[in-house]
Order: sequence, then C-alpha cells, then structure tokens
Amino acid sequence: MQMTQEVPASYRNTALRPRGIGLITEAAREIWSRRRLVGYLVRADIKKKGADTLLGNLWWLVDPLLQMLVYLILVSVIFARPQPDYGLFIFAAILPWKWFTSSVNDAITSVTGQERLIKQIAFPKIILPTASVGTGIINFSFGLIVLGALLVLVFSHRISVFLVWIPVIAAVQLVFTIAVAYVLSGVNVFFRDVGNISRHLLRLWFYLSPALYGAATVEKLAEQYPSVGALAKLNPFYILFTAYRDVIYGPEVAAAGSTGPVPPDVAALAALGGVSLLLMLVAVWFFKRLEPAFAKVL
Amino acid sequence: MSIETPPAAPGPIELSADRLSADRPPPENPAAPHAIDVQGLGVRYNLRLTRKNTLRTTFINAFRRKEGDRTFWALKDVTFKLVHGESLAVIGPNGAGKSTLLQALAGIITPSAGTIDVRGHMSSLLTLGAGFDQELSGRDNILLAGAFMGIEHAEMTRRLNSIIDFADIGEFIDAPIKTYSSGMRARLGFSIATSVDPDILLLDEVLATGDQVFRAKSKARVLELARGAKAIVLVTHDMGWVTEFCNRAMLLEKGQVVAEGSPEEIVGIHQEHSERTKAEQAAKLAAKAPGTG
Repeated sequence: MQMTQEVPASYRNTALRPRGIGLITEAAREIWSRRRLVGYLVRADIKKKGADTLLGNLWWLVDPLLQMLVYLILVSVIFARPQPDYGLFIFAAILPWKWFTSSVNDAITSVTGQERLIKQIAFPKIILPTASVGTGIINFSFGLIVLGALLVLVFSHRISVFLVWIPVIAAVQLVFTIAVAYVLSGVNVFFRDVGNISRHLLRLWFYLSPALYGAATVEKLAEQYPSVGALAKLNPFYILFTAYRDVIYGPEVAAAGSTGPVPPDVAALAALGGVSLLLMLVAVWFFKRLEPAFAKVL
Repeated sequence: MSIETPPAAPGPIELSADRLSADRPPPENPAAPHAIDVQGLGVRYNLRLTRKNTLRTTFINAFRRKEGDRTFWALKDVTFKLVHGESLAVIGPNGAGKSTLLQALAGIITPSAGTIDVRGHMSSLLTLGAGFDQELSGRDNILLAGAFMGIEHAEMTRRLNSIIDFADIGEFIDAPIKTYSSGMRARLGFSIATSVDPDILLLDEVLATGDQVFRAKSKARVLELARGAKAIVLVTHDMGWVTEFCNRAMLLEKGQVVAEGSPEEIVGIHQEHSERTKAEQAAKLAAKAPGTG
C-alpha cells in the first residue's frame, strides 16, 4: 500500500483538496517546485524596470540616494534639525522602508496584473506575490551597496562590527513583508480599492514611524501620553527602524562618552520575528483560501 | 509513451499529485484506462464577486443580501468519462458552459460541486499568447510561458529552437514583444502552446490564427497533436471538425448535458435545437414588431 508515492505526477483529482495546515504545506511545495518561475519573474521585473531609462538599473542605486537628499534638505533646511550625520540617520530608515513599500506595492497588483494568464493556465498563484517580494530583495541589496558606499566615503567614523546584524533585522522584515504582501495581493483581486488606499496608508505609516525622527521622539511622546506611546512601540517599523538605526547609526541620543552604533534590541526583534512568522502562516493560508476564486473573479 | 512514465514537467498538475496520498485510498490501478472522469461537476459563479468590485458596491450589496439570484451555475451536474483513444467534441450554443468546462478540466477553475479525476499529462491550447510580457523578448517570453505551464527548464530550452522555427519570426525573436505585429504574436503563442506532447489535449477553437499560410500550417499541427494524444476534448462551433475528428460528442445547453452520443447524432440534435431557437427568436421578433410599428 505504499504505491501512493508512485502515482505519476500528472494525476489529479479535484476531490482531494487540502485544508487548514495542508494549504500552507501545499503553498510551500508550490513555491519550491516553481522556484525557477519566481526567478524568471524577478529577472523579468528587473529587466523591465531598467528598460527605457538612460541610467537603466543604476536607478536602483540613485533612487534611495535622491530620496535621502530630498528628506535631508526638507528636514535640515526647513526645520533646521540639529542631528549629527542626519543623512545617515534617515538613510538607515529610508532604505528598509523603500524595500517594504516597493515589495508591497508590486505585490498588490501582482495577481490582478496577470489576469489573462490566470484565466488560461493553471499555476499556483502564490508565485506572483512571491516574485514581487523577490524583486524587493534585489532592490534592497542594491540599496545596501549604496549604504556601504555612504559609510565608507562619508560616514566612516560610524562603521562598526554591529553592521553584521543587518541580515538578521532584514530577515525579520522579510517575513513581515511577505505576510503583508500575500494578504493585500489576494484582497486586491476582490477589491481594487486596496491599491488606492494602500498608497496613502503606507505614507501615513511612514510618517508615524520613527524614520525622519528618532526613537527619542517616541519616548517623549510616551512620557506625555503613555497609551499612545505604547501603541507607537507596537508598530513593527518602530522596532525595525530602531534596530537598523542602532546598528548603522547609533542611538538618536548618544550615551555620554560614546557615539556610534550599538547592538539592537534583540528581545524586541525576536518578538517581532515570532509574530511575523505567525502572521505569514496566516497570510499564506488566507491567500490559498482565496486562490480558487481568482480565475472566476478576475 | 505510457501514462505511467512520470512526465518531466513540475507542473500545476504535478503539484496536486501529493493530494492523492495518505488519508485517501490510493487508486486501485493507476493505469486504469480512463483519462478523464468527471462526476457531477458543477461550477458556480458568484455574480456579486464577479463584477469588478469596489468597497462601495460591496457595502451596498451587503445591505441587500440576496444570495439566491446572485449566484449562477455555469455548469451543473456534468458527468462523463473519457477513456483512452476517445476524442470528445463539446458543442452547444454560446454561453452553454463549454469554455467553463474546459477551464475546469484544465484545473484553472475549481469545481463548486462534483469531482474531476484526470489521469495523464494534460495540455490545453487555451493559452494562445496569454500573458506575454510586452517588455521581454520573444525568447524570454517562451521560457517564461514554459515556466508558467510548469515545463522543466531543460525541456523548454530543448524545445526553444523548434518553437522559434515554427513561429517563423526570424530576427525578431530577440526583440521585445511590444514590437511584434499581432500576427507574429499569435504565431508565437500558437507555437508555444502546441510545442507540448500531452496525453490529454484540450482544444478550444484556436485554429483561426495568423494568415492563410500559417493557418494551414497550424491546422496540420493540431491534427498531428491530436493524433498523438490519448484523449481529446474539443470545443468548437465548426461541425465539420466534430464529425471529422471526434468519435464522441456531447451537447451542452445552459450548463447541462442535454445529449451525448455519436458525433453525427449529436450534431443533428444541436442543429435541430438551434433551428428551433432561431425560429423562436424570429417569432418573438415578429410578435414584437407590430406593437412597435
């Protein structure tokens, strides 16, 4: 009775549909077996994003720099912000934020954008937002090159051993990003409003997170309004931005006698990682539950 | 070419293979002669979701909750079995659910009721030119299409040259698809879709492609594929194909199987029915005319 393993791959019976945890393992299998498709989609995306521009994929390097400059001018000139090395201070937050928003924005339209394919070929749809997240990773890697260059050329006094924490923080962010990407890409099939709303919500989220300002501002707020402060600290990007900034720049208000980077708040990161992992599993399940309806609704 | 040879493709079809495991009893005999076994298949569309919704309309609809008239069975209680060597023609008027049936067989749409059991590597020619990426070259698009269809990379690179040859687009193969004429696009799509070598072939009137020369070529290709396949499901309005090609036919009307039998017989019934519908419509028009005139 061990013959079940021998069943040729092309056998299919619709009566046997997994549910619950089965959906999650199925999704994992789908992504693994179609990893080459994910790779193709990522490569195609990168090729496309570089096409039709003079600088091509150099934009991936220039873009975060320009964004940093804009905020640098805005904040330091208009608001006369007296933060040393403010460029690096905000770059440490802008870089991961760009990664998050570009992944999520791509993912939102990833399924709806392949309407024709979905109606004509049977393939695991979870590949599509996965590819968006994959493109985001490449995007972030380019950004890290810029970060490296900035550190070496301009802020060399901030270079520290704590930079090795970046992959760990990025991993936590990746898991969180995947969760958001799966949920929104699925919901957008049914409600195209998601794309419209998300743009504004993401912007609001950015300003509510300590990117242009630091964790100290949140602390101050927490002293005044404890409940608001507690809420602000539950923001995943409060934890992430603070962690990135700790290891790249250092605390906003340097402790007496020492400047420069410090290790991140590992407990907070671990907690966020755990919650994100759980969210991701729920998101995968959610996406797989919606998936059968895609071909009918699109 | 036995169906027991596991096909190379890590396709959507393969992915569901594991579902045949563990808690379910294994099939008595994997080499059972049936290629497709459809039992009580029903496909329901939820009209409330099918419209491109905005949140606003959903809220509005939520207040007028009427489930009954908002769902629609595109297929209902369709049961048939296709064994090796059979080619089944599915005919019927527009909107009878023919294409929905093919989509369900291809695994694109999940049944709302009933089951579909497929034994063999299936390929559908529903995919002509679907989802070409405008920015990518023809070559990249071939590989991408292959990856979407679940064909292994090595297999696809092996087929690459024959696909390019058949599509006959010459130098343009390395230019972005957006520079292609619609004829070139159609030829490339056809060439990709028919590059497969399936056990079960699903065909949905894809034969009118490109110019005269290519059309003749493509018809020959479809015939060749059909000869190689172990079972065929063909959806068409061309009764010539039905009688020429198929050894079984099924008449679908309003999502239900009305008649099943030999092609000649079913084509006869279909023509009878459409004559009647035509006559009814003419009568309706005639009845209306004096009132308006």
